[in-house]
Amino acid sequence: MEIIGDDKKLRALYSQAKVADQSTTPSFTSVWHRTQARALKPRRAFNLSFALVTALLVLTLGSLAAWSIYSNRSRPSQQASTNDSAPTNPAPAEKKAVEVPKDKEDVKTAETLPTPGHDSPARRSIKPRPRRSAPPVDRQLLASDQTTKETTIGTWQSPTVGLLSSPTDDLFKSIPQLNENTNQMKSSLPGRSNDKEK
Amino acid sequence: MEIADLKAELERLHSASFGWALSCCRRDATEAEEVLQTVYLKILEGKARFRGESSLKTWLFAVIRKTAATEYRRRLLRSFRLTDNTDEVDDRVSPFESQTETFERSEAQSHFQGALKELPRRQREALHLVFYEDLSLREAADVMGVSIGSARQHYERGKKKLRESLTRLEMGYGNNWGRQETPSAV
Repeated sequence: MEIIGDDKKLRALYSQAKVADQSTTPSFTSVWHRTQARALKPRRAFNLSFALVTALLVLTLGSLAAWSIYSNRSRPSQQASTNDSAPTNPAPAEKKAVEVPKDKEDVKTAETLPTPGHDSPARRSIKPRPRRSAPPVDRQLLASDQTTKETTIGTWQSPTVGLLSSPTDDLFKSIPQLNENTNQMKSSLPGRSNDKEK
Repeated sequence: MEIADLKAELERLHSASFGWALSCCRRDATEAEEVLQTVYLKILEGKARFRGESSLKTWLFAVIRKTAATEYRRRLLRSFRLTDNTDEVDDRVSPFESQTETFERSEAQSHFQGALKELPRRQREALHLVFYEDLSLREAADVMGVSIGSARQHYERGKKKLRESLTRLEMGYGNNWGRQETPSAV
């Protein structure tokens, strides 16, 4: 069949190419030696893509750390500013209910007074300033404020304290003693006087 | 297998390996040598290990094929990245250029190489492995990483296409490459 003949021709062409390739083949020893030299050569330590990715990671982590530190610092200063505004209206609840507009004005003035540099309170709420670099006179004022704050906090009572007290508090608080006789014990009970009346 | 034994085996297969590397690198001798060096380096460093699952020749050829493909991709990326140096890459002169030219002076061979270049990669590989390296179709399939049926298809289609290309390229070749089947054979 002709196809087999074609195969033979193809094989012949391939074998010709093989012979030609063999004449151009580099010797094994030279290739092997070059390979060994390549193996001994130190690898390129710097990889551009790796360096870029690492730099990006470091930047991201750094910015995260900076953000967390900044937010931690700003939080106490915000708390301090809220504490500053709290003692300006230490009046009881009833008084508060009556003088709400006045107190509001007081709060506003209290907020605006310590920071004369800032014009609007809205701006102040965005960027609270740390008070570390306050002058000594201000520090004394702050100390006196602190003492007033402590006293007000010490005398403060919950508005629901009155609800907890009742006229029968003494009965609940008195505990029968071991040496008492039964009559004395019963006299301390609330239902004894009612029985006698009956 | 110890490194000394492996080296002896590699030396024995060196010529065939270079031929296969040439085929994988579109007959670029410099690139083929570089690929072969990389393959030997992989073997030396233990990145490519022969586990005895197939014959050493089949395994080595598969490693060469993969390495050549990787190197080709790398070169392509590099050429895209360094557009300024593309001329330099293209103008590179192979040390084997003159010898190749001498060889390709043979008209039949030049036609044959031209026809081979027209073939798809898989078909070219299948034909090379069978005709050039004298491998069986099963071994060729192992090297190419395809099933035997697929390898046979590549082989048959490649042969047909090569025959057609040769007929087209060399009308005055002297031999009739067309498929002339005798009526009795049908």
